[in-house]
Amino acid sequence: MMLSRVADHQYWMARQMERAENLARLVRVSEEMLLDDETLARGSAHEYWTPVLAATAMEGAFRSLYPDPQAGDVARFLTLDLRNPDSILSCIRQARENARSVRDKISDEMWSEINALNLFVTSPEGLELLQRFPQAYYEKIITSSMLFDGITDATLTRDEGWNFLQLGRLLERADMTSRFLDIRSQSQPTTVDSALESLQWGAVLRACSAHAGYRRVHGGEISVEGVVDLLLFSNEFPRSVRHCIRRADEVLHDISGTPTGRFSNPCEKITGALLAKLSFAGPPEVMARGLHAYIDELQVQLNAAGQAVFESYVLLPGEVGRHFPRGSRPESLADWQREQQQQQ
Amino acid sequence: MMLSDYKGANLFDELVDEHGRIRPYYRGVAEKLSGLGHDELNQKLRSLELLFLKQGITFTVYGDEKGTERVFPFDPFPRVIPAVEWEHIEAGLVQRITALNLFLYDVYHEQRIIKDGVIPPEVVFSASHYRPEFIGVSVPKDAYVHVCGTDLIRDRDGRYLVLEDNGRCPSGVSYVLENRAAMKRVFPQLFGASGVRPVDTYPADLLSTLRHVAPRENPNPNVVLLTPGVHNSAYFEHSFLARQMSIEIVEGRDLIALDGFVYMRTTRGLRQVDVIYRRIDDDFLDPQVFRKDSCLGVPGLVDAVRRGNVALANAIGTGVADDKVTYAYVSEMIRYYLCQEPILDQVPTYLAWRDADRKYILENLPRLVVKAANESGGYGMLIGPTATRAQLAEFHDKVSRHPRNYIAQPVVNFSQHPTLVDGSLEGRHVDLRPFVLWGDTIKVLPGGLTRVALTRGSLVVNSSQGGGSKDTWVLAA
Repeated sequence: MMLSRVADHQYWMARQMERAENLARLVRVSEEMLLDDETLARGSAHEYWTPVLAATAMEGAFRSLYPDPQAGDVARFLTLDLRNPDSILSCIRQARENARSVRDKISDEMWSEINALNLFVTSPEGLELLQRFPQAYYEKIITSSMLFDGITDATLTRDEGWNFLQLGRLLERADMTSRFLDIRSQSQPTTVDSALESLQWGAVLRACSAHAGYRRVHGGEISVEGVVDLLLFSNEFPRSVRHCIRRADEVLHDISGTPTGRFSNPCEKITGALLAKLSFAGPPEVMARGLHAYIDELQVQLNAAGQAVFESYVLLPGEVGRHFPRGSRPESLADWQREQQQQQ
Repeated sequence: MMLSDYKGANLFDELVDEHGRIRPYYRGVAEKLSGLGHDELNQKLRSLELLFLKQGITFTVYGDEKGTERVFPFDPFPRVIPAVEWEHIEAGLVQRITALNLFLYDVYHEQRIIKDGVIPPEVVFSASHYRPEFIGVSVPKDAYVHVCGTDLIRDRDGRYLVLEDNGRCPSGVSYVLENRAAMKRVFPQLFGASGVRPVDTYPADLLSTLRHVAPRENPNPNVVLLTPGVHNSAYFEHSFLARQMSIEIVEGRDLIALDGFVYMRTTRGLRQVDVIYRRIDDDFLDPQVFRKDSCLGVPGLVDAVRRGNVALANAIGTGVADDKVTYAYVSEMIRYYLCQEPILDQVPTYLAWRDADRKYILENLPRLVVKAANESGGYGMLIGPTATRAQLAEFHDKVSRHPRNYIAQPVVNFSQHPTLVDGSLEGRHVDLRPFVLWGDTIKVLPGGLTRVALTRGSLVVNSSQGGGSKDTWVLAA
């Protein structure tokens, strides 16, 4: 048993940390690709980024903030722009704010790491690194998130809070892996340049740290089917969607105490159904349906799972909005809350 | 660190006496400190600051749009209080909290002190934190102020004077504990055989103080800490204390009052709450009773308190006792309730609503400190000798128009303590906030928060106004 709000903070702390890490992976690989992509000669760097923005559902936000995009704007938008609520910096800030709210529930080492990362990303050293050696900057964010994960594993008591934390990380990881897969299908689907195609699928694998895992199972040659098989259906690869969903399903059953294979609330129902779907399908089904459409469906179910967690454990029905004056907008609400907290 | 260059001043110096000799109880630590090389000291200071920053031991500065988090500046030269001095302080604080609790019980019940003409009725009834709606309401064990942080200063003779009592939600104790932990980590050699009394039992003592007022016969009462939230300047302290006591830290939205009981909302449904260590002012506790627009409180909380189903620490309405006008009468309270002479002296206080006093205040503004009766944190204050013409005129106007809201005191040039400024030692004014707990016994934390006014000559020690802090050592013998 734990406070519902604390469960929510633990969940989002892990989820935003994982999101920051995955965005860093994405930007790092994309920038690397940019360096040796021949299409650059043909189109603008900005076009190159379009599928990245589309897959992460940030295209609209980008266009409204940067109506006339210049070189480097996408990377800036994804990395340090606080106006983008899903930029790496925004995610780290929010993860840290969530950690601060559960400071008494996490280990000192976890807090130190998340706090140090938050300080690093906008420190003079950090910004200089980003300027001169961006790969190392993103590397540092990725490593810090993985370190946080490791510290959590090594220091946090295995109680309900741990489960909510795992749940956040696993659902986000499943979501991001599926988005990475979608990037390729969003860029010119009619391309016939197979050398370029395998280069791009290689980048997707790298973004998921899946290169070595891929080679072990499918050998050196990179094929769409192989990548889909590993990233969606592998039971063993820790970043595959199926693996994440299986773990999330276990964690949910651990929280409720319901035996696996049954469900006691909507989120267990969703993850259970999703797991069955991923366990009894493979690349042929995906190819028949079309990769993009398949992933779209997957995303809808992943979102539903996250929403169901919130509704089952955080929200008490009928309790929503009881403190808030009628008709106030979310932004003004946040300001007003902050103001009162400060008056104390 | 060069001690030989350090000079006292024309006021009480904690380290050296009027002949410039180091006081005997400082010799041990002074010797060890002077043994540290310049580079070594700087390196240690840098690692300290980094430690605080990395651990997020920060407070929030308001007035700035985003509420920037800052590290509370820390000075490594510990303040030393010998055992005999501490005994005096401790006895004075115990006497004071006893009188304040008797006073609060009295003003919310028979009001004998008023009827007997010891305190004028206006003093109580016009205090902005007086809560007439709590007259006749009993609180568990008749305890009103469970946690008190009393500010002390020393005048030029070294006499400890009470500057104010903080009987609502005094903060700062987490820095006492964190400062000590940091000192042990970075300057272990200073401690040696110095016989410094430990401070780390505070969280356990606080917890037993809170459990003491649990209303149900329950061997394991559910005690929670109610915080305004992460944007509050003292949030670090709230989370620190909750963690040390292993209790839940809750926000208003985590609690719900149903049929006169208070529950917290958990992933397994509702769980009853017995004691709330609240770090929210009365005004925000319950929108049904106090501020209607409060989003920090719990609707129905006050009703549950009235019915005796949940205990609040500190109780509602304690602000009438730490009001700056009431302050002027605390010595009288001690004589009235305890038939004792006050052990600790106070600073002479002029009350603007008394005609003669107001006249004196208005004529002598440049020589006085003027304070708003109900403000804290160094806000709403005028320091006459350093004020500009415009500030003097502003306060002249304020005092004339709202006499009840202002008091004035002579400027006490309170004691200074050597403080490291740009690598050399300089005297800076310090005060002391000890913490007193009122449970089944009265416990005074040996030490307290020594705050330092880091600006040369400044008498304002508040963290929000450029103050820092240092470790405070009470010696065992």
